[in-house]
Amino acid sequence: MDRYEKLWQEQLTRNAQVKSRRHFLKECAAGFGGIAMGSLFFSCDSGNPPKGLNLSERDLNPLSPVSPPFSSKVQSVIYLHMAGAPSQLEMFDYKPELQKLHNQACPESLLQGRKFAFIRGQPNLLGPQASFEQVGQSGAWVSDYLPHFKKVADDVAFLKAVHTDQFNHGPAQLFMHTGSPRLGRPSLGSWVTYGLGSDNQNLPGFVVLTSGGKTPDAGKSVWGSGFLPSVYQGVQCRSKGDPVLYIDDPKGMPRDLKKETISTINRINQEEFEDYADPEILARINQYEMAYRMQIEVPEVMDIQNEPQYIHEMYGTQPGEESFANNCLLARKLVEKGVRFVQLFDWGWDAHGTDKSTAIDLGMKDKCTEIDRPMSALLMDLKQRGLLDNTLVVWGGEFGRTPMQENREGKTQSFKGRDHHVDTFTMWLAGGGIKKGASHGLTDEIGFSGVEGKVSVHDIHATILHLLGYDHEKFTFDFQGRPFRLTDVEGELIHPILA
Amino acid sequence: MIKKFPYIFASSLLFLSGIILWQLGHEEKVDFSADVKPILNKHCISCHGGVKKNGGLSFLFEEEAKSATESGVPAILPGNAKKSEMIKRLHEKDPELRMPYDRPPLSEKEIETLSKWIDQGAEWGSHWAYSPVMAPENNSKKLEASFGNKEEGDFVKNGIDSFIMDRLAELNLTPSPEADPATLARRLSLDLTGLPLSQDLRKDYLNGKISYSDLVDTLLDQETYGEKWASWWLDLARYADTKGYERDVSRKIWAYRDWVIKAFNQDMPFDQFTVEQLAGDLLPNPSLDQLTATAFHRNTMNNDEGGTEDEEFRVAAVMDRTNTTFEVWQSTTIACVQCHSHPYDPFKHDEYFQLMAFFNNTRDEDTHGEEPKLKFYEEEEAKKVASIKEWAEKNASGADAQYFEDFLLYQEPKYHAHNCEDFDKGELIDTKWLGLWHDGSCYLRNALTGGAPFIYLNYWTGNDGNRLTIRKDGPDGEILSQFTLNKTDGRVIKKFPFKPVKGRVDLYLHMENPSLKPEQTSSAINWMAFVPALPGEGPQQKALSETFDELLNTATSTVPILIENPDFMKRETHVFERGNWLLHGDRVGPNTPSSLGAWKEEWPQNRLGLAYWLTDKENPLTARTVVNRIWSQLFGRGLVSTIEDMGTQSDPPSHQELLDWLAWRLMNEHNWQLKGLIKDIVISSTYRQSSKSNPHLHEVDPENKFYARGPRFRISAEQVRDQALAVSGLLSKKMYGPSVMPPQPKGVWQTVYNGENWETSEGEDRYRRAIYTFLKRTSPYPSFMTFDAASREVCLVNRTVTNTPLQALVTLNDPVYLETAYYLAKQANTHKGTFRDKLAIAYEHSLGKKPSSSQLDHLEGLFHIALEDFKEDPEAMEDFLVFAEESSEKTAELAAMTVVANAIMNLDEFLTKS
Repeated sequence: MDRYEKLWQEQLTRNAQVKSRRHFLKECAAGFGGIAMGSLFFSCDSGNPPKGLNLSERDLNPLSPVSPPFSSKVQSVIYLHMAGAPSQLEMFDYKPELQKLHNQACPESLLQGRKFAFIRGQPNLLGPQASFEQVGQSGAWVSDYLPHFKKVADDVAFLKAVHTDQFNHGPAQLFMHTGSPRLGRPSLGSWVTYGLGSDNQNLPGFVVLTSGGKTPDAGKSVWGSGFLPSVYQGVQCRSKGDPVLYIDDPKGMPRDLKKETISTINRINQEEFEDYADPEILARINQYEMAYRMQIEVPEVMDIQNEPQYIHEMYGTQPGEESFANNCLLARKLVEKGVRFVQLFDWGWDAHGTDKSTAIDLGMKDKCTEIDRPMSALLMDLKQRGLLDNTLVVWGGEFGRTPMQENREGKTQSFKGRDHHVDTFTMWLAGGGIKKGASHGLTDEIGFSGVEGKVSVHDIHATILHLLGYDHEKFTFDFQGRPFRLTDVEGELIHPILA
Repeated sequence: MIKKFPYIFASSLLFLSGIILWQLGHEEKVDFSADVKPILNKHCISCHGGVKKNGGLSFLFEEEAKSATESGVPAILPGNAKKSEMIKRLHEKDPELRMPYDRPPLSEKEIETLSKWIDQGAEWGSHWAYSPVMAPENNSKKLEASFGNKEEGDFVKNGIDSFIMDRLAELNLTPSPEADPATLARRLSLDLTGLPLSQDLRKDYLNGKISYSDLVDTLLDQETYGEKWASWWLDLARYADTKGYERDVSRKIWAYRDWVIKAFNQDMPFDQFTVEQLAGDLLPNPSLDQLTATAFHRNTMNNDEGGTEDEEFRVAAVMDRTNTTFEVWQSTTIACVQCHSHPYDPFKHDEYFQLMAFFNNTRDEDTHGEEPKLKFYEEEEAKKVASIKEWAEKNASGADAQYFEDFLLYQEPKYHAHNCEDFDKGELIDTKWLGLWHDGSCYLRNALTGGAPFIYLNYWTGNDGNRLTIRKDGPDGEILSQFTLNKTDGRVIKKFPFKPVKGRVDLYLHMENPSLKPEQTSSAINWMAFVPALPGEGPQQKALSETFDELLNTATSTVPILIENPDFMKRETHVFERGNWLLHGDRVGPNTPSSLGAWKEEWPQNRLGLAYWLTDKENPLTARTVVNRIWSQLFGRGLVSTIEDMGTQSDPPSHQELLDWLAWRLMNEHNWQLKGLIKDIVISSTYRQSSKSNPHLHEVDPENKFYARGPRFRISAEQVRDQALAVSGLLSKKMYGPSVMPPQPKGVWQTVYNGENWETSEGEDRYRRAIYTFLKRTSPYPSFMTFDAASREVCLVNRTVTNTPLQALVTLNDPVYLETAYYLAKQANTHKGTFRDKLAIAYEHSLGKKPSSSQLDHLEGLFHIALEDFKEDPEAMEDFLVFAEESSEKTAELAAMTVVANAIMNLDEFLTKS
């Protein structure tokens, strides 16, 4: 406890709020040259900061790295979110009994007092549409919708009985990413970036990549910083247009001239600082230098043209497109460069069976094919580069899908669909600190509810923070007069999947 | 008293503690709020408070702290510390028994304070923030002091300076000299209007033609004042142009934004401002403006996602209104109390739901159409409305007469499609609209028709021949109405005869249309209303009845408003167990927390009464909250630095007497008018000081909480853009109206199930002030977000100011800022003289002062490098001058000037209020 509190004081009271930054001014020395790492334009001597000012790294750069209170192997997180909620029953949760009951009416007892988003009355059960086999040494069940994933199943740990309490996309996605179904809380990525900073100052610390043509249902709040300073919010990088908004120089502006412009701005700002002694000015000088470096590094890392052919084949990437495959490759490149948190959203998993594209056996199968190769490639690629041990990969949706065939508003549907389901769904984790080949949790014989090893969204958050070196109960931020945490007042570590 | 000793002395100089204890023991009375409560909050309350009551003990309320614990004995025995279990446990050696459990023990001094307090009788006290604002004892003295005495020099210009000076003197600090006039004028103008000073005003002020006080008055009179201060209020009001949640489609609520701007410009007293927003609809004969004001609480989000239950999100909106009201007016996070008693502040679980009861009886129900919406009729139509009103008043009286105008304005009361149930061969389409198939049916239960002879339907259909039969009670009941819905051109409101029935009835709706395919929807019904006949008789009655129906179908602009439920639609409010809206506990009625001031008999038990309670002079928090936040807008920090929270967990005020003095003046001297308060502040020497610091000042007061220097912080997201547009001459002066869409990068809007697009505005709408920019909650204007603007999903009291590389990318590369740089350069280029002279002009236009020669050297250096570059590469120059209207304008000089203008608009001093 004491050790924790001490570390806590040291590290996190240096939060990035401008107001508290001013606490840390004491004497010069380490000064501004040391902080503006590899300053392009100045050294400490060239400027002339008044004596008596000393600034911590976080004063000048709120993304500077911080060590967590407990040692941790995990350096980066890649979170793959299938927005719309994929069907666990066609991917990982094999239910032969459900097959036998196919087309029979769902037992009343399961429906009593229950509300579904679209199912009304007494729906029929829908048997699994995919065939399953046990793979690898772990004997994990994987469906034939995911042939490539079978090769990496031994590297992951499954959570078979995850539950949530939100059955609409927006609130459920918010819950999954901010720990609250209502708006206003910081996202997981923001907490992590706030807690750890980032190792690469030329790239955003928290990058968001979307595919499927849409942003998630809950909008940009799922990567928002809530009450944390906005510097910790996710930065959306795009494979079309500017990779980061406004990263490209205006047309006709030579690169050297941009450098000269920033240099001029910073020289004048330096004089301003000598006059006003306001450390915010030094922070601004630093940010302009970072902006310049980002302009070089972001387009570089976001360009996948020059990746070798075998990598393109491995991931199934097509440069210039907005695709999940491209985003998986980018995720690997970003963590390789020291980005702390990479969040992927792939939209289009809401398999209600209202038309072909949302039919379980058609549209949803195609979605599986779309992600199968790249997500498997991501794990293999991280592994072959020795990155898997210090990267945590998380895969899942915002809830699961019903073992029942959807009968939207009481209508019979011509395509096979499943409604939203909060009782149980599957997620998997892989990489640093995760027990390879583990499987935790069991569902009943038709996959309606978890019967063993049930875990909540808060439990998953607690476990992710733990893997990053934080005790989720003590990782708090004061807001509106009280300490807030990602896991609110809940969350238990999921020990069975920890290495 | 202990509190007079700065904490650091007491803890570090151990030998002093003996003396302090001796003092305590002999003469000093321990003060609960100042001395005891902080110890309890720090060490005890997390286990013995609102959430956890370990051992049956809580220190939150007096009665809890002094009553028997699980052991059967109270922990505190007033007058006997030695025997009090609380003190025994603090001294305990056994780690299993010693408190605080598993944490470091309290210091000797803390234990001594607690012991003394118990020995002196353990008197409970209330926190300063919960005590009414008293007339300052030395108010007159403070005002007289405005002439200053020798010691204080010329610094003390008004009461503010006197309070500030007292603290500075205690700390051996001296105030800074007044900022140079140009810097001060820019600061003042940015603070009062959000924009830099106009050239003319600046000249007049710098030439001494007008005084500082005149300048303050002139700026307060400008309409831009309302736009600037409305930006602040709209964060609190969570104003946005979309509904939020998944689909996040647009909503038309800009009339509310315009109302706020006008209210600020009229200097509407803050009590009236409060009453109209919280309860304008409950005022006698509310005006259209007063109804519009109630849109404050219609800024809550509205969920259109398919499959969502409207009642769940109606309740969410009501809770948001409760929370927001307390955050905005009381600096209190009441939201905690929805699940349990407040962990630190004196609010009980039930009290939350009593507050919620005030807001739980409005007509809005999270419907897709966001009803009720106030219709703004054009002049001609408004005359017709008036003539119907006149007729009704002539032929009926009281509420019966008023009904017709109200129904034309906002169509209430009515039943929404989601009130129907027990569907057979039918559905609630997308969980929104009533859609019956052939031979389909449903019930509308417990409806009160008031004996009305008409049913009005809001619906649309693509099919002819949908025959709807409405029966009493069920399939075999009496037919009350029967009619056919034929193909419509979009949504219509149509009336059908309805057999008058008394009392509440269950209505059975049955649809027939054999031409439909199985499971094909006949029509989509949005709502139903039972409407009496226009009173009177004869041809005029008939003509006016027709006009009535026409008006209902007239398309107008609208704004969502609050309308109170009529008695027959009143909802009961229950405590939600553990905050869960489905788990109802005891029923509660509207009431306010007892700790925050008494309720007066004459107030109605509704939102109007709540608004009176909030703006009563006895309410301890409202005036202090406003003062603290206005101060924070001007100084970058509040007198209580946690501007979102004023209570037992907030930071202690840096100048409590000043806070109270200003709060008292606001209510009693300025009659709640904010311009008076703002003028008090900006006229003070405290505000006018130079913001230059030095290492010594930083060491003593890094956060500038004692105000030995002037404020200096980055301007807001809105101001960053407005200022750039203003100095380049592009800023449009157009006010009010629908929100606009200035250029933003392609592909930023990608919302699910939402066909709306960002349609870039043309003409001057590209250059309107930021407050008019369309704000989509799930995808706000990107460059504003980069500069810490709010996404307005929920109330935001405090924008955290950050400093990031992404901000640099915006002002360096966003075409909006290149365009402003181009126009600034173009202006400067028309001046005669050397390049250096022109650069000086560009700088002066931007910063409102002349550049130093060193600054000019740097800018000139950049200019020549750019000039060479563009001369060498004319193609790059052509590309760069993308905003030039004619090719003759495309010169290397102008391109280079644009580069420099862009650099000027990226200077720290340009982005900072100094």
